[in-house]
Order: sequence, then structure tokens, then C-alpha cells
Amino acid sequence: MIGEALKGHLDLLLLSILQGGPAHGYAILCTLRERSGGTFDLPEGTVYPALHRLEHQGLLASEWREDLPHRRRMYRLTPAGQAELARRQEEWRRFSRAVESTVGL
Amino acid sequence: MSPGSDRIQMYLRSLERALRRRGLADPDDLAEMEDHLYEAVAAGLRGGLSQAEAVEQALRRFGPAGRVAAAFDKERSSAMQKIYLVLAVASGLFIAYLDARPGWDATGILAGGLLLSAGLLTLLGARRPWLVALAVGIWLPLHDLYTTHDISMLLVLLFPLAGAYLGWAVRWGLRRVIHLA
Repeated sequence: MIGEALKGHLDLLLLSILQGGPAHGYAILCTLRERSGGTFDLPEGTVYPALHRLEHQGLLASEWREDLPHRRRMYRLTPAGQAELARRQEEWRRFSRAVESTVGL
Repeated sequence: MSPGSDRIQMYLRSLERALRRRGLADPDDLAEMEDHLYEAVAAGLRGGLSQAEAVEQALRRFGPAGRVAAAFDKERSSAMQKIYLVLAVASGLFIAYLDARPGWDATGILAGGLLLSAGLLTLLGARRPWLVALAVGIWLPLHDLYTTHDISMLLVLLFPLAGAYLGWAVRWGLRRVIHLA
């Protein structure tokens, strides 16, 4: 149930995590699991296609770092990604406020 | 290689096969996911798990190869793939039109056209070579089947099939060379 609900918000979560600075795929997944207290526990392999799509859309950029202990692809937010993140955060704020006041939390 | 890497490598081969069936295998993507899995195993070991438990946890969290490949497939159903398919159909119809013209008798050119069209499209990035071959090559035998009822005309499909898989193999080889460079 949570996995299905998560799919609709995965882009927002990935962009938010990368707001903290560049990271590789494994680190992004670890942050996702930690920040959600283990609630967002979707198959990790399915996150890579989403990262690649966000890169294809110009919201993320990636580069292969050769100076690390082993070759690794690092992702970072682009200016377009920053703008999209701000837009989605605002959208989420309005949505969550509306849900909370509707269900009486 | 550390103990447990056999299972990781077996999983990666199965993932590569699943991605290749969808025309999506990319050496960079596979290297990235390999890096992820070994990183996850190392983290499991640091957390006190045995090697076998760490590998088991890493693979379980990563998800079944088929599911991961399906996620790639879903995310990459791009407009460009539809354009490739339209181009394949258009070039196939054009070749069938040339063949249907009275007085046209250059079978070699038609066969070469089918082979080249399909090969060029998969070289450029069209996925699923079999589908490209079908989209390019089905029109010519269909027309001939309608007029001559000769089922052996379906053998014409071998030309676009050869071209599509050749183009796809060259593209895959080029990507591998670039990845290794």
C-alpha cells in the first residue's frame, strides 16, 4: 500500500534528498530509508530508472567519478531540478494541509 | 572476488538478460547497479551480518531482476521509441511501394534497403530489434502474399531481422567500448 502511494511522490523524494548535495544511488536509497524510518522500503533497483528519467528530463545531472575508491556515478540537482523541487514542495504543502484539515488531524 | 560475489554476479547476469530482452541493457547502468549491490553487501557486513546474510539482504532489497527490468522498461517508453517505430513502418511501406511499381526488378536493392533501414534504426537507438524488423519488413511480403499467395515470400523478413540485430549489436559493442575506455 505504502509502496504504491510512494510511486506518485518518488520524484519529490529523490529531488529533496539531492537538495542536500550530490550523492550516488546507494547513498540516496539509504537516506530515503533512514529519513522515512524504514517506511519507504521499495525495491531499490526500481529507483535507478527513476533517477535516469529525472536526468533525461534535465532535473538531475550525473557524472562518473573516477577519483573515488571505485568508479561511481554521482547525481546532483540542476537549476531546473531546484525549481521543480520548489514547485513540488509547495504543491505538497497545499495538498497535505488540505488532507489534514479534511480528515481532522 | 569475495565470497558471495558469485551470487551477485549471477543476479547481474540475470538482470542483464532481462534488460537485453527489452533492448535496454546498458553497460553504465549495469556497472552502477553492481556498485550498489557491493556497497550494500559491505554495509551489511559492517552492520554485523555474515557474508551470506549480507548478500541475501542486498539482493532482497534490490528486488527481483524481472521487476527491476520492468521498471526500466516503464520509465523509458519514450516518445522517441514511437518515432523510431513510425519511421520503421514508413520505410517498410516505401520499399513495398517500390516493389509494387510495374517494371521494378531490383530485388538486391530492396533486400539491401530492408537490411539498411532496420539496421540504421536499431543503431540509432530503437529498442526491440525483432519489432523494428517486423515493422520494416512485413509490408513487402504482405503485398506479395496478397498477389501471389506464395508463403515463401515471408523469408524476406530475414533481411530486416539481420539488419536490426546487426545494428543493435554494433550499438551495444560501441557502448561497451565507450564504457571500458
